[in-house]
Formats: sequence, C-alpha cells, structure tokens
Amino acid sequence: MIHATYAIWLRHMRKFLRNREELGGLLIQPILWVGLFGVGMGRMLANQSDYLSFMLPGILALTALGGAAGGGMMFLDERLRGIMREYMVAPIPRLSILLGHMLATVSKAFFQISIVCIVGVLVGATLPSSMANVVLGLIALLCFTLGFAGIALAVATRSRSIMGYHGMIFLFNLPLLFASNALYDLATVPTWMQWIALCNPATWLIAVMRGDTQYAWYLGGLVCFACVGTWFALRRFHHLTK
Amino acid sequence: MKMIEARGLYKQFGDVIAVQDLDIDVRAGSVYALLGPNGAGKSTTINMLTTLLQPDRGQITIAGHAIAHNPDAIRRIIGVTFQDLVLDRDLTGRESLDFYGRLYGLNAQTRRTRIIELLELVELTAAADRLTGTYSGGMRRRLELARCLMMHPQLLFLDEPTQGLDPQHRAMIWEYLRTLQRTRGMTVVITTHAMDEAELLADYVGIIDHGRMVTHGTVEALISQFGDDIVRLRIPSHTDVVWDAYPWVTQAHWVGHELLIGVDNGARRLPELLDVVRSHGAEVVEVTMQRPHLGDVFLRTTGRALRDEVAQ
Repeated sequence: MIHATYAIWLRHMRKFLRNREELGGLLIQPILWVGLFGVGMGRMLANQSDYLSFMLPGILALTALGGAAGGGMMFLDERLRGIMREYMVAPIPRLSILLGHMLATVSKAFFQISIVCIVGVLVGATLPSSMANVVLGLIALLCFTLGFAGIALAVATRSRSIMGYHGMIFLFNLPLLFASNALYDLATVPTWMQWIALCNPATWLIAVMRGDTQYAWYLGGLVCFACVGTWFALRRFHHLTK
Repeated sequence: MKMIEARGLYKQFGDVIAVQDLDIDVRAGSVYALLGPNGAGKSTTINMLTTLLQPDRGQITIAGHAIAHNPDAIRRIIGVTFQDLVLDRDLTGRESLDFYGRLYGLNAQTRRTRIIELLELVELTAAADRLTGTYSGGMRRRLELARCLMMHPQLLFLDEPTQGLDPQHRAMIWEYLRTLQRTRGMTVVITTHAMDEAELLADYVGIIDHGRMVTHGTVEALISQFGDDIVRLRIPSHTDVVWDAYPWVTQAHWVGHELLIGVDNGARRLPELLDVVRSHGAEVVEVTMQRPHLGDVFLRTTGRALRDEVAQ
C-alpha cells in the first residue's frame, strides 16, 4: 500500500517539478493576488489597518482551492488518457491510487501556500507570531485542502471531458471566496450573507487562521469536512473501479 | 495445462450486449490470437481477462486463480499493453520503467538491473533518458512492451500491439514476441486486425463477432476447412447452388458479389466448377484462385458488413 502510494506521489511530483508552465503559473498567481490585489485594496481601504494581513488567509484558502482543483484535473487527465489502467492492472490496493493522488495534490497546494506566505511577508503582511497559531493554521489548511481535493477527485471520476470538469469545479472557486469572511468583515454584510458565509468551509479556515475565539468549533468543522470530502472521493472511486 | 479458462462470459453496457456466452481456453506457453471486427467485443473480453472489468456473468480462471476471488494473484502474473498507449509523455523512458517497478515494490537494485536489460531488449538504451513525448510511435510501442515485461509476467496480454506501425517496427515486435515465447515460455494473448500477424504468431485463434465466439482452432485447422485452394468467382447476381453432390467442394459461401469455393485442387476442378455454376444460370465475370489464408476464415465467419464500434 505505502510503496504504491509513494510511487504515484513521486511520479506526480517529478512531473510537477519538470513542468515549467505549471510551476510558472503557481508562482505568478500568488504574486498577482497578494502583490497586486492585496496591496491595491489595502491602499484603497486606507482606514482598514493592515488589510494585507487581513486578506492573506483568504488568499491562502483560494490557493488551497486551486491546488485541490488542480489535483482533480491531474486525476482526470490520467483517467481520460488511459494511464489509470496502468495502475488498475497492478496488484496494488485501489486505495493507494487515490491516496497517491491526494498526497500529490496536498503537496503541490502546500508548495504554493508557502510561496503565497513568502510573497505576502515580502509585501508587508504579518503572519501569526505564536507557534500554536501556526500549527493550528496548518492543520486547518490541511483539512480544507483534503476536503476540496476529495470533492475535486470525486468530480474527476465522473467528468467526461476537461471542459466539463472545469465547468463544475470553477463554479465553486471564486463564489466560495466571496461568500466568506476572506475579503470583508462579516459584521458589515447583511444577515443572510452572514448565514451563507457561516456554512462555508473557507470561513471556518479563515477564522482559525485569524485566531478567532471560536476556533475549536471551526477546526472541528474542517476535520469533518476533510472526512466527508475523502469519503466522497472514496465512494466515487470505488464506483469507478468496480 | 490451461493458463486461461473462461466460461459463459457476459457483459452488458446499458442496452448494448458487448460479450455473451463466451468461452475461452488458452494453453500455457502458447500464443492465442483473439480476432474480430471493430466492436466485436475483443477489448471488453481483454478488459475482463485482465481484471479491469467485472463480467456480469461467467467465470474466469487464470493459472488456477479464480478472478472473482483473487484478482491480485492474477495481477501479479500478467503484463498488459493497451491498444491506446498509456505512457506518460512527461516522463523519460527510464523513469516510466522505474515507476512501474516501484509500483510493484521492486527494490532499487532490481529495478536498475531490469531496466538496463529491458532497454537493451527493445533497443531503446540510447533514448532511455529522453521524454517519451519525443518518441516515435514504434519506440513507444517498444517501451510499452518493455514496461509490461518488468515483472517477468507468465501471461502477456497485447491489445493491438502493432497498430499504426511501419512494416519494420511490426517485424521487430513480432521478433521480440517470438523470442520471448521461445526463451521464457510465456503465454501470450494478442488481439489484432492484422491477419498476417495472427497467422505468423498464433498457435490458436479465436474469432469473435457480436460478442460471441464464432469459430476457434489452430490456424492450420481453420484454414484447412477451406480445402487446399480457394476459387473466387465474381458473379453479379446471387445464385443458389447445392454443392452436396460434389465431394471435392469443402465449402462455399458468398461474400458480397463473390462466391468463395474451397476445393481440393483448384487447377483441376476449375472447368467443372464453372460448368456447375453456369448450369445454374449464373454469369461469371471474373475468376481468381489462391491458397486460403486466415483472412478468408475471418471474412467467412464475420461477413463484410461494416461495424460501428460501441464506445464504452
């Protein structure tokens, strides 16, 4: 089980580090978000003290979401090109195929998250100073990424084309960011929007990262979300390999 | 000893019955060619035999292991190349083989040794560190073959192994297969549209159509059903002739506007044959004579109607 999971993870990481377009896209995207959007909005909202630090968790959530969508894409590409059959005729547990993909997805997402943090710090954002907050933030990010990676992989087991997959996945992308506390304080939005935001895992993640007093509830929610996402992917994957 | 024993295989996709009541027996150490027109059910059959697809009904036993109960035992002894190449274009030839070895849990030393040995076998040593995306079709097929030999399989499934290749590459692949079978005693199941390929490589042939086995036997036995020679008569209008009175006619059937007649001696029987046909009012516009080959068996059993493949 472990050697097969590792082999699949290694294969994807090797391809990822070799693919200049993918690497370039990963480097440019956070620079655009943090460097342009964050700095620009920070200047416009001059009364909001340190807006860049305020919005950085939201950008991290968006980055994790993009990473999860990319993981599903990688799975779909292998499925449509028939590469998946190479795994399926091997005497390896079916679960290791899914785990290898999920691990590669999380690794790539965390690689990009690290870049976002570095770029954020370079342009003036401040990160949590206590180690406990950093660890909590990382756990929350991991759960959030796993949850969405599971959903993305589940969609990828069903999609018949890359276009169809994009249509499904990018339906979630920006709306999840806007329907959360990523870009604005929830106290300033209408009640109905507050309710929507409270059901959004992105809100839970951002609340944990901002050190919200209710962080234990939000973290619990994210753990459940990760479990549900993984279960969903497993279920769909089992159906695909039946 | 039987390597594969399949009984009563049945698979349905929606309303389409892909395979029905199919029996296959493959002797250990032999080359079995599964032939059939597009959409006949070959790929579905191969997918079931390689554990990729579960039959709706029927049993498959490979090397004594029932596929339904112990698919992993079967996966450990088979090597598969698919009709569509599954190589990752972003990996080098060496990395592709290395990945496969890792997937099966081979240690680093064994992987290194086998990769060197297999790259030499398929003559790809010089291109080993190039991305497979830069390989020609023939090179990719050879690498695919090397990939599925990484685990020293007892049973090899090759789905259209020479599709789209030039004559040189086809000859090269055939040579590899003959060498493998001779030196390692491997059992090979091959699907192909190329009758020359099947005739050259196969010990035993099964022809399937509309998901059913229409005929099977050794290449010699199937061909000999036609007699020693085949006389082809081109006749514009269909004419029924009862051939029972002529014991030297082994069989006769229509393919389009051609009447194919198997006879014991074409040169000697031709005048009499023409007399018989003409006496039934048929106008013969063209006569050709040939030694029968597997393609004639194929056309006789599957007909000439074009098939539309059912996408799965």
